[in-house]
Amino acid sequence: MGLLSRISSRSPWLYRINAGSCNGCDVELATTALIPRFDVERLGCQYCGSPRHADIVLITGPLTVRVKDKVLRLFEEIPDPKVTVAVGICPISGGVFRGSYSICGPVSKYIPIDVDVPGCPPRPQAIIEGIAKAIEVWKERL
Amino acid sequence: MSEPLSLLLSVVIFPSGLFVLALGLALKGVDRRVAARLQRRVGPPLLQPAIDLVKLAQKRTFVPDVACRPVFLAAPLVGVVAMLLAAALVPIPGVYEPDPVLGDLLVLFYLLAVPGVVLMIAGSASGSPFGAVGFSREMMLMLGYEIPIVLVIVAVALRTGQGQGAVITFSLGEIVQYQRTHGAFLFDPIMWPTLLAFSAFLPANLGIIPFDMPEAETEVLEGPLLEYSGPTLGLFRMMSAVRTVVVLALGICLFFPNAPAGIAGLAVWAVKLLVLATAGVTVLRVSVGRKRIDRAFIYFFRWPLAFAVVGLATVVIV
Repeated sequence: MGLLSRISSRSPWLYRINAGSCNGCDVELATTALIPRFDVERLGCQYCGSPRHADIVLITGPLTVRVKDKVLRLFEEIPDPKVTVAVGICPISGGVFRGSYSICGPVSKYIPIDVDVPGCPPRPQAIIEGIAKAIEVWKERL
Repeated sequence: MSEPLSLLLSVVIFPSGLFVLALGLALKGVDRRVAARLQRRVGPPLLQPAIDLVKLAQKRTFVPDVACRPVFLAAPLVGVVAMLLAAALVPIPGVYEPDPVLGDLLVLFYLLAVPGVVLMIAGSASGSPFGAVGFSREMMLMLGYEIPIVLVIVAVALRTGQGQGAVITFSLGEIVQYQRTHGAFLFDPIMWPTLLAFSAFLPANLGIIPFDMPEAETEVLEGPLLEYSGPTLGLFRMMSAVRTVVVLALGICLFFPNAPAGIAGLAVWAVKLLVLATAGVTVLRVSVGRKRIDRAFIYFFRWPLAFAVVGLATVVIV
């Protein structure tokens, strides 16, 4: 790995996709795990509003039928190299919605998932550890 | 040194160019670090803005199919160049005095409007609806803060001109010189309404939190910057870093330029810059929420405009 990619690996930008989540994991992502209560910013992370700026994708929710196409399209728009983190039990297995007629998850059927962070919702510490692992994966792809 | 060469150096290396870019990135790093400390976090390393730039430089630039390609790619370049020129116009008291050939306060005022215009053009050239929303918000904001800043500039120029026995002077060098001999405008009660108007202009021009609606990521997904990626986004980040230094340094020049000459002057200037950046940018942005665009528009036509008019009137009358 060259010097430039070593430097770049310290600036992973995070992008959140809500694939029909109940908002529990999103609240954990937006208000505790990251800024302002706990701190992933010290890993160099920052939230970006645009999929084009993203390096690490955080997916929450069980991938409902209605959002499936939009999530897949959004995922296509994120430039490589990207790393995907499934936050919460819903994107991993469907969680309490498993077997429902209105979901087509788990997300890994359609999108390659690199790191799983189970929980309902996961603890902030777990999310931060998941992101730290995702950075390790991302380093290898740079 | 021949004059064209020294002019070129002042735009490319010091005080503009490399120097102001490094300073701007360092200020952004301090800003993020101090904001984190205020929220009882550790915060990113001080070099984080520079690290982000290195990463962005290596990523691919993506141009949307619906975008107007030349305008889309040229807009950030225009913004960065305008800001570097503006940085060469602002004196560092006791250290650097801009050549009158480069321009005066009026030229600087026009250059300060360029980043806003560039964001508007970039937003509309990207073809994204969020860019269009960003365009309209940026335009409303500019309509709000441009009138007070014109009045502020005129008030300072009039005060200096009257003090010198002339009518009005727009030369930044003379404004700095006048204050260094007659005392800073910061301690002159007649200038206080003008100072208040300027302090409202500062966050709006820098696009930080109470007035960051054009780029609000939670509302319009970073508006004009939505479609930019890689090096072009990096250029926008450079523009914003240099713009921070220029606007803060302008504030120092207009109201408190007193400093010893030489290296000590540079140190005093840097300390002032740091204090102003922390108090006027960081503390402000972590302690308030974003205003709604229509409220901000009304706000600018109410308070800063009133202060600017009162300030100008007192300068004219006294």
